[in-house]
Amino acid sequence: MFGFGLPAKIKRIVGKEAVLDRPEDLMLYEYDAGINRSMPEVVCFPRTTEQVSRILKLSHERGVPVVPRGAGTGLSGGSVPRKKGIVIGLARMNSILEIDLANERATVQPGVVNLELSKAVEKHGYHFAPDPSSQKACTIGGNVAENSGGPHTLAYGVTVNHVTGLEVVLPDGRVVEFGGKSLDAAGLDLTGFFVGSEGTLGIATGITVKLTRLPESVATLLGIFNSVEDAANTVVALTSAGITPSALELLDGWMLRTVEQALHAGYPMDAGAVLLIELEGISEAVEEDAEAVRLICLRMGAREVQRAKDENERQRLWMGRKQAFGAVGRLSPSYYTQDGVIPRTKIPQTLRKIEEIGKRYGLQIGNVFHAGDGNLHPLILFDVRDPEQTRQTLEIGREILEYCLSVGGSITGEHGVGMEKLSMMPSMFTDDDIEVMTRLHDVFNPGALLNPLKVLPSARSCREAYNPGHPSLGESK
Amino acid sequence: MSATATAVDIVSALRSVAGDVQSAGPELSIDEIRPDAIVIPRSEDEVAKVLRFSAENGLALIPAGGMTKQGIGGVPDRADLVLSLRHLNKVHHYDPGDLTISVGAGMTLAGLQQVLAEHRLFLPLDPMLPGQATIGGVLAANAGGPLKSGYGGAREFCIGIGFATVDGKRAKGGGRVVKNVAGYDMMKLMIGSLGTLGVITAANFKVYPLPRQTATFQCEFKTAIEAAEFGRKVWASSLGSRLMCLEIISPRAQEYLNDGWDPRDPDHFSPAAPVKHHTAWTVSLRANGSDAVLGRFSKDLGGAISEELSGETEAAWWRWVSDFEVKLAHRHQNAMVIRVSVPQSQVADALSAAEKTAIEDNFVCSAVGRLPAGSLVVGLAPLAVDPPSAMQFANMASALRGRLSRDASAVVLRCPTEAKRHFDVWGTSPTDLGLMRAIRKTMDPGRVLNRGRFIV
Ligand SMILES: Cc1cc2nc3c(=O)[nH]c(=O)nc-3n(C[C@H](O)[C@H](O)[C@H](O)COP(=O)(O)OP(=O)(O)OC[C@H]3O[C@@H](n4cnc5c(N)ncnc54)[C@H](O)[C@@H]3O)c2cc1C
Repeated sequence: MFGFGLPAKIKRIVGKEAVLDRPEDLMLYEYDAGINRSMPEVVCFPRTTEQVSRILKLSHERGVPVVPRGAGTGLSGGSVPRKKGIVIGLARMNSILEIDLANERATVQPGVVNLELSKAVEKHGYHFAPDPSSQKACTIGGNVAENSGGPHTLAYGVTVNHVTGLEVVLPDGRVVEFGGKSLDAAGLDLTGFFVGSEGTLGIATGITVKLTRLPESVATLLGIFNSVEDAANTVVALTSAGITPSALELLDGWMLRTVEQALHAGYPMDAGAVLLIELEGISEAVEEDAEAVRLICLRMGAREVQRAKDENERQRLWMGRKQAFGAVGRLSPSYYTQDGVIPRTKIPQTLRKIEEIGKRYGLQIGNVFHAGDGNLHPLILFDVRDPEQTRQTLEIGREILEYCLSVGGSITGEHGVGMEKLSMMPSMFTDDDIEVMTRLHDVFNPGALLNPLKVLPSARSCREAYNPGHPSLGESK
Repeated sequence: MSATATAVDIVSALRSVAGDVQSAGPELSIDEIRPDAIVIPRSEDEVAKVLRFSAENGLALIPAGGMTKQGIGGVPDRADLVLSLRHLNKVHHYDPGDLTISVGAGMTLAGLQQVLAEHRLFLPLDPMLPGQATIGGVLAANAGGPLKSGYGGAREFCIGIGFATVDGKRAKGGGRVVKNVAGYDMMKLMIGSLGTLGVITAANFKVYPLPRQTATFQCEFKTAIEAAEFGRKVWASSLGSRLMCLEIISPRAQEYLNDGWDPRDPDHFSPAAPVKHHTAWTVSLRANGSDAVLGRFSKDLGGAISEELSGETEAAWWRWVSDFEVKLAHRHQNAMVIRVSVPQSQVADALSAAEKTAIEDNFVCSAVGRLPAGSLVVGLAPLAVDPPSAMQFANMASALRGRLSRDASAVVLRCPTEAKRHFDVWGTSPTDLGLMRAIRKTMDPGRVLNRGRFIV
């Protein structure tokens, strides 16, 4: 029907060496860093906006589903091709197109790795502020799609606060622009609306971001507490005192010991929790705040407050936080990270609740999270080979999120809804809320061919019968 | 049927939908369009019902808060009703420990700041006329002020939004927590949509601790170029992280930065007498911090400082800067006010383009602007003895736009109604117009909301 079939057509657009269609190659693209799986029928790696546009036109004409993919570090199944079809890998669109220091902007292709941009502007005294813990691997396109955060977004803001303009290819192949270098372009803020849309409205092929100057001075402190309760109460005390650390991370006692055994970061083995607190800015303010933080921690029951003396010590303190997930990986065959958000005053009671839920199911839950903005990351240890444990793990996740909602929180702070949390959306939003979002989805993506069955439980693709595979792709096999 | 009979019918039919309906007096006019009635719903449900009623009856409706920014946008094609949000002025949820607050859209900005100030918190949003401007209006117009330099705009701290749609639904986006990526970001879509997609009924904000101590350093320069260079250098230095405001102020703008409200000659540029003749461009830096931090400013800025403000004088100064546009418009009823948005390196060029444009048409240019945000408020007041013609305003808008770069936007916020009919107050947008229209259409297919004013 289609001559050489779709893979052949795609090869003609992007070149033979930029297409994968053998099952052994495709297997690598059936999952992200989360728990969901589904195998694509073809994966391709365009290098230009025009190629992306041509692939989307093809998908549009043939009715074939398409899913964009950055580095695949997403945790909610965002880049998993639920209806099979084409995966567009953006990793080769990795050029920094422009660095405009005079305007504190950079324009990049979507496949640029987060940390690479910061490295490229470091010598000029700037960085790209959103710093997900996965920043060595994840792409800026993926950050835009997920509206990613990171430890330092407490002071600097999440991805959407740093994106001013986008070039987007719509599902029908049209290339459009939103915003630009200036902040208040006339018209609707479609840049802001697109960020966090998880690849369901279009594919970002050009991204204009703010560059943030590096701080003059940094202080990194470690508050050591006998109980997680005291540490959690300290979080509230710090913000109430008008101190905005650039980062404020909490590790509970179990996490601490796990991390320490694996990494020897110098964390105390017998503590109930630690707070990792970073202050950045002009040296006078950093010194004053560091002293204020020390006093508040002690007043709130810290048994000790350490301060990194130099960059080496600072890196050591951070290593424990940044590699916490890896450390857990050594212990347990599998773990499941949740991503609920609560108002920060509810941290103590929510941690108690999580502990209680874990005990009830008999599964270990560790906590390492962005305490300053109430963004929890409970880590549930389980064995994926045991179906009963897997089922229980998902149930635990759900119970935790329901509790977050009950205290005025959210089901996701930075990892996205993806396919993982689709079924939880109705717990947070009414049918009317979702209907309005669906209407907007359909303006951009009327056939729901782009990243189907994600984010919105009622998007057209979800309402249709689930239809794995696609006949137009089948014939080349 | 006569127009009045229709109006009476509408009012009586509306009474069954929403409690508080008043006939509009002749003084209520939006760009010379006179609506028949004002409806003031008492609940979000009533707002939704009024919208559905309007859609079903083919009425055109203008949502309204404090009526401070109704001059924005094109001349309405029609306006049958004004929907006032003024009854929706309650605090819905407030937990100072969480640094978040949820309020009804009809609450005034000053009212909100007062609630927050009790716990030494504030919302870093300082548009003109905070005593009248409501939260809903400020968001819909994406209004801001000098604090935009240090804190960004409403999109940075509006964490949740409630709105009613023309099909009678109540919908929301976001939530009450400071970090949240569940569902689409409805806040970003509604902020700046000028009430054309739905009517904002409630909003949630992330709020900030009130700075314990601030000071403002005034630095003067001969030219806009020197001023902008200096300001950007300070911004890029270590001092930048302590700046709340970094404003560039044209010499002429000083005329409007004071407490006087006398209109003198309302039609023409007529400086107060005696005039302290300002020839200098001012860079106004507001810093936040302890004695040591402020001391660092004095030391690093050294001889560049011509004056230092604190306390009540400082507070008054920033109120004046926020109210610059109102003062200018009050002084000259034929003034045109343009919001120019440029990348920061183009600020001086944009200001000189505005000066040139003004001179060509015998207008006087004055401007204040948030330097690092590249967000300028440009005032153009007629100098000629004869009132300017409508075409002059149209020509100035297009001449200015022609002189700006591709990255710039120039939106006319205020100008005589007659003139508005001759040009597009919005100008071009880098953002795809086809998509914006499709969004508008899907949210308001019957063109009930603010018909003719935005994304037409
Ligand atoms: C160890 C670890 C630590 C992490 N830490 C954090 C953290 O601190 N904070 C945080 O927020 N997240 C974190 N994450 C999650 C993840 O890294 C982020 O969501 C990241 O932004 C995903 O980027 P990616 O390039 O891997 O995107 P993918 O996983 O490949 O894709 C994510 C989503 O983006 C879409 N997408 C990708 N590119 C585009 C594009 N160009 N246009 C449109 N849509 C696109 C995909 O379809 C998918 O829906 C972590 C993950 C891991 C494994």
